[in-house]
Amino acid sequence: MNPLRKFLELAHSQRWIWSALAVLIFWGALSAVTERFSVASLSGILLSASYLTIVGVGQMFVVTTGRGNIDLSIPSVVTLSAYVALLTIGGRDANLATGVLVALCLGFLVGAVNAALVIGLRIPAIIATLATGYVLATATLLSNRSIHGFAVSPSLNSVAAGRLLGAPIMLLVCIALIALTEFILRRTVYGRTLSAVGQNRVAARLAGIPVERVVAAAFVISGVLASLMGLVLGAYVGGAFLEMGQPYLLQSVAAVVIGGTLIFGGSASAIGVFFASVLLILMVTLMQIMQLPPGSQDMVQGVVVILVLALAGREAVRTSGAPKVGAAQ
Amino acid sequence: MPDRGARAPGLVEPNEIGPRTWLVELTGVTKAFGPTLASADIDFAVAASDVVGLVGGNGAGKSTLMRILCGMIAPTLGRVSFDGAEVSFTNYDAGAAQRRGIRMVHQELSLCATLTVAENFFIEAPQHGSARPGWRNFYRRAARAALDAVFPGNRIDADQRIDRLSIGERQMVEIARATATPGVRLIVLDEPTSALDLERSRQLRDYVRERARSGLAFIFISHKLHEIMDVASRVLVLRNGRVAWQGAASGASAGRLVELMGGEATAIHHRIEREASVRDEVVRVGAAFVDGGAPVSFRRGEIIGLAGLEGQGQKALLRAIYQRERDSAGVVTRAAPASFVSGDRQKEGVFPLWSVLANVSIGRVGPRPALGLVSDRKEREAARPAAERIRLDLARFDSRIGELSGGNQQKALVSRAVAAETLIVLLDDPTRGVDIATKQDFYRLCSELAREGRTLIWHTTEDAELIACDRVLVFANGKIVRELSGPALTEEAVVAASFSHLAATGPERGERRGGERLRLLDRLVDAAPLLGLALVLAVMIAANPSVASVFGIDLLLMPALSLVLVTEAQMFVVGGAEIDLGVGAFAGLVSVLSATLLYDRPALGALAIAAVVVAYAMIGAVIQSRKIPAIVVTLGASFIWLGIGYSIQPTPGGASPDWLSALTGWSIPHTPTSIVLIGAVAAVGALLDWAPLGVALRGFGANPAAMIASGWPALRYSVIRYLIAGLFSAAAGLSLTAINSSSDINSGNSYTLLSVAAVVMGGCALTGGIVAPVGAALGAVTLALIGALLGALGVSSDFNAAAQGAVLIGLLGMRHLADKSGAE
Repeated sequence: MNPLRKFLELAHSQRWIWSALAVLIFWGALSAVTERFSVASLSGILLSASYLTIVGVGQMFVVTTGRGNIDLSIPSVVTLSAYVALLTIGGRDANLATGVLVALCLGFLVGAVNAALVIGLRIPAIIATLATGYVLATATLLSNRSIHGFAVSPSLNSVAAGRLLGAPIMLLVCIALIALTEFILRRTVYGRTLSAVGQNRVAARLAGIPVERVVAAAFVISGVLASLMGLVLGAYVGGAFLEMGQPYLLQSVAAVVIGGTLIFGGSASAIGVFFASVLLILMVTLMQIMQLPPGSQDMVQGVVVILVLALAGREAVRTSGAPKVGAAQ
Repeated sequence: MPDRGARAPGLVEPNEIGPRTWLVELTGVTKAFGPTLASADIDFAVAASDVVGLVGGNGAGKSTLMRILCGMIAPTLGRVSFDGAEVSFTNYDAGAAQRRGIRMVHQELSLCATLTVAENFFIEAPQHGSARPGWRNFYRRAARAALDAVFPGNRIDADQRIDRLSIGERQMVEIARATATPGVRLIVLDEPTSALDLERSRQLRDYVRERARSGLAFIFISHKLHEIMDVASRVLVLRNGRVAWQGAASGASAGRLVELMGGEATAIHHRIEREASVRDEVVRVGAAFVDGGAPVSFRRGEIIGLAGLEGQGQKALLRAIYQRERDSAGVVTRAAPASFVSGDRQKEGVFPLWSVLANVSIGRVGPRPALGLVSDRKEREAARPAAERIRLDLARFDSRIGELSGGNQQKALVSRAVAAETLIVLLDDPTRGVDIATKQDFYRLCSELAREGRTLIWHTTEDAELIACDRVLVFANGKIVRELSGPALTEEAVVAASFSHLAATGPERGERRGGERLRLLDRLVDAAPLLGLALVLAVMIAANPSVASVFGIDLLLMPALSLVLVTEAQMFVVGGAEIDLGVGAFAGLVSVLSATLLYDRPALGALAIAAVVVAYAMIGAVIQSRKIPAIVVTLGASFIWLGIGYSIQPTPGGASPDWLSALTGWSIPHTPTSIVLIGAVAAVGALLDWAPLGVALRGFGANPAAMIASGWPALRYSVIRYLIAGLFSAAAGLSLTAINSSSDINSGNSYTLLSVAAVVMGGCALTGGIVAPVGAALGAVTLALIGALLGALGVSSDFNAAAQGAVLIGLLGMRHLADKSGAE
């Protein structure tokens, strides 16, 4: 077997390799043609990618539960969490614990409500999370009216923008999250059952898996990660504004699918989410450097998502288990 | 080359004179999948009036051969000829096979579940469908006639949706549809009786014999050999992809066929006499499942069979035991863990992304605490003995499960239950579609497990298998009506008991009653958007009586027009089991184009709008040809639409062309223009849905594979679907410009998600196949009014979004509760 075949085989089972490869090529090409990409700019890109990865991993859990589940409430949770955190902390480190707790509760609550709607009332995830997103949007509007000036807690700010041994702290947090997530996916009962539920829900139930709990956990994880990320993002940008979570709607989904997680559910990759996030941020950064108007940035991101899906589409369908003709008798 | 002469005596009926013209003849057909030959040098031919019984174990190559015959796959080598004239395989596909009169009734049902019986007849023979008033009547009559011809006394309503029929009735519809196809010459029946009771099965065989006399040819595939012996004039036995034997049915017997297929001639049913059980009770079934009410106990070490005609409550009891479902009248109690083995492997058993090992070990892993660790090495050790017991090849542990034959997949599922080491094993028709060798391994394992003290509760559709049980419970109308054991337990006794309790209330009648009740509830749910709208309007009129004027209504409802249009666009996409997240952004883009380019340079503007609509339709091509989820593609596309619009018009502005404003600006006395326009939009949607085109679009939403098998081009209809959505959405964009007299690229954004909500409120299912143009329009109007309603009630507009979300959740919750009560 020649090395290329070997690589293709590996990339077939480990789909995140494609996004990693794309990052390398993109990065290499950019360093070659422009002077403005350096190690320093890399660290900025990695920092932004870390924020995206955190919500992307949450989205990945929800997508992996299958049935086209997507968490559309992520942007609203991010925004509201940033507001709520700013309101409760009020710029004082003494209130930091309360603020984190409140943000955590917010994420947990939203995730639990989403799960209750999806599981209890059988509302399709995309609609349920959209509906909770609407309710959160109203809460955000109300918070926006009651907030007076933005003051960021110094220690939170040092987590959000600080460095440890030259690396952004958030990048380290993000790497820890990826390691933990990969461990959960590959080595724990939850990871196995999540994959099973995503592949075939009826069979999962008949195999003794508590399907509802598995799905509910995925929504709660997504909610909590989004709220924690909103908390830190608020500290990073030094405030909050109404649409601050909005970019994460398309980007979190894009990071999930570009990273090799199957959009049909059942197979996830946290490493893939990270590389895909880096890729997306690289693209946005490049377009900003080229001073393209914001409209064309949107267009390019949309085209990239469709292209990646179109290229990966066939393979994803095949691996999602249309029985092979010969073996099916 | 195989010796042609050698097969002649078998193929030609003794009483026939001279050579026959084969209707279709396959010569030297070989199909290789990698190194394995699914078909190897097969010669096979069918003449008019033939009824060929096709038998063989799993992996023998029956399906492959039939797929080649039906043009679904091309062989590696070989020739096909029709009426003696050879046809090239390069030009031979499913459509060509159909044109030559070949129809196949698949093992997997190939009906569109959300279409009516009559509409399914249209899907199969669309040439009589045209958008004329009453075009459906032709198909209603055809459906009735075909059903009555094959299954007299069936009482299936041609206007009933397929998903409201029982499995047996669906299979009847499918068979009847194939027989009614104009110009049909050969029908392949693949396990046609698997969901039919004995009477229907007999009717089918009578019908096959009768039609064969008048020249129609059949290929009858069945694992039930007595049916083959009963109906077939000739038999073809396949083994390992080769012809093991073919000849006149009179020259064969069920025992001989089993031998030829590679099984053992005598069925081994090890029923070891066990001492009368005084052992621990593990399951108790209460009054809800027992006719007469005395609870029934299952004890350790027993094999209990669940018998009766199809759909009499056997599966329901298995599910209830598995879920320990409490019932109001009687309670099922279970004293030990249970595992479940289903015969419906694809739907209820297999995890297709995983290896065989992972598929086996999930039975042990699944019930453990979520944060427990999983070790592949430990799981492999635990799975090995379980697999060995059912003779599952250990060398295949690391293969993906889909690469195994059906029989071996079933072995993996049985291993899963064995490895889980539960005291109770629930078996739901576990040998369905499985070859005889696998069955015999399975029977042997069952008696071993029982000897170890496990309790097996076994639902089977093969009455012969019940002889392997200690006790058999016979079901009728959802209850246990008879218990057979000891010498009284014979196949004949089981059959007699199954029928004796069905005198007055047949299963079909029960189904129909349930169906009518469902319909009533559905109507109530369907009326929900209308009631909601009436309520909202009533509150607003109460708050401000001037709303009830023509002017007031127009003021309120005109802005809803754009959402109604976007909703109709969304509805056709949802009807295809997809969701379009770009539909609102697209309306915004068209609005921008119409207020800028179209206003300044009409020709160029019209061209630009046409171009983006075409681009929009192309999304359908991308989704279909690359098989990628519409949600993500359209989400990506929405950014493209926004980007284009933003580049053309960075800040809101522009102006509406006069003719466009006039379209919404006219009025006739005493009639609100808005209601006329909204009604017209709903009518256009309803007309499209009513026409044959709309039925086909719904068909693709319900069962795309069946549509493709019936010869419908999927790509074309996907493009048409998005073209329709694009046109509605573009009209929404124009209406936005006309109503606002200017444009804003973000003006359509909120419509995307609202339209999904409106569509669902209106009664469409996100799972596809159901379209409700009027309901969706009403839903859209209701949602659009929420803002105005809050204003009338003096609530801050901050609460707009929350109210929309709450209404959406409330309505869907109600719909779910209604569906739930309808299903029970």
